[in-house]
Amino acid sequence: MLSRIREASRAIGRRAKVMEVCGTHTHVIARAGLKRLVREDVELISGPGCPVCVTSQRDIERMLALARMRGVTVATFGDMVRVPGEHSSLEHERAGGADVRVVYSPRDALECALREPSREVVFLAVGFETTAPAVAAVALEANEHEVRNFSLLASHKLIVPAMTAVLSGAVALDGFLTPGHVSVIIGSDAYAPLVREFGVPCVATGFEPVDVLEGLALVLEQMAEGRAESAIQYTRAVTREGNRRAHAMMMRVFEPVDAEWRGLGSIPSSGLRLREPYRQLAAETRFPLPDIPSASLGECRCGEVLKGLIVPSQCPLFGVRCTPRSPFGPCMVSSEGSCAATYRYE
Amino acid sequence: MEGAMCLAVPARVVSVEGRLARVEVVGNVRRADLSLVEDVAVGDYVLLHAGFAIRKLERAEAEETLELFRSIESFGDQTDP
Repeated sequence: MLSRIREASRAIGRRAKVMEVCGTHTHVIARAGLKRLVREDVELISGPGCPVCVTSQRDIERMLALARMRGVTVATFGDMVRVPGEHSSLEHERAGGADVRVVYSPRDALECALREPSREVVFLAVGFETTAPAVAAVALEANEHEVRNFSLLASHKLIVPAMTAVLSGAVALDGFLTPGHVSVIIGSDAYAPLVREFGVPCVATGFEPVDVLEGLALVLEQMAEGRAESAIQYTRAVTREGNRRAHAMMMRVFEPVDAEWRGLGSIPSSGLRLREPYRQLAAETRFPLPDIPSASLGECRCGEVLKGLIVPSQCPLFGVRCTPRSPFGPCMVSSEGSCAATYRYE
Repeated sequence: MEGAMCLAVPARVVSVEGRLARVEVVGNVRRADLSLVEDVAVGDYVLLHAGFAIRKLERAEAEETLELFRSIESFGDQTDP
């Protein structure tokens, strides 16, 4: 695989700049030391692919406000619990008496609401297209069974608009490794418009080190031959059309909406909100939520890390005041955040 | 943690009841919601993410991925302190 990369790189005649936009790729790349392995031929940079890391400060403050409300139970995925807000985190609120529960599946949150009818259970729904259909399925079920004490704070994000925003920014990219499991849902055809507009190869890539290397080889080989296509390395799971049933379920329950990303700002049609008749499941229709504009986190440079403008070690807080044990910014919280992955493995 | 990560693992279906199934993931039995996939039967392999099957896998595809999982696990055993 390395010889394929090397050969294509020779034909290109310069070092290629390739971005991965999936936190699991970030983690695998750091863990297997792949950046160093391909360093001479490829500059690998991490993009906005970690759902926890791209959640805006405004959404985090809303989650914290919900957790502080009497009678409210918030349920979410583990990584969200440690993400710092301006003055607090869900973990901190829990220590202060808030009912914050970590769930493995959105279904667990719905079942919690069924078991405890006296609690208002709010599921803090983060994640890309891999996760949003599962949340949609649970929303349909809650609606069908008229579960009155269950709601959602949806902070879902869509990957293609974010990739478009990155390409429109300051980083000159040659290609993308696209997220394997997002691509299981949306299919490799979903990247075709972006490939046409910007002329960058996109390769839907799996999660083993050898998958990532092959994904890179496929990007570089396209470059060497002057092609730009949406291709699939992860053929074990990804098809061109994706999982239409799951995608349709997601679009039945949600509609695209402009969304705010940490570091990237507001991106048109890059988030999801509940559409009618599911809107009544939206936490913002049931609870008074603050609408605090996103404050920057002081010296934290997560935003620039997410855009691929700097590497984590260029942030003055990295490894000093910001470590996985005591994270200052979200990219250090999640094991798929590029700061945490860099700290742990490099 | 695996929920928020876009990580999914191959799982073998051991029983099906309505849209819920029990699946085996590298030796552990877990629940899986089948709402997002069609025509899944006992013995099939699915890709499991956040408690939901997000795709049916061909046996060969699943075996290949599981083989990679196992090789990484043994690799981890050797290198992690």
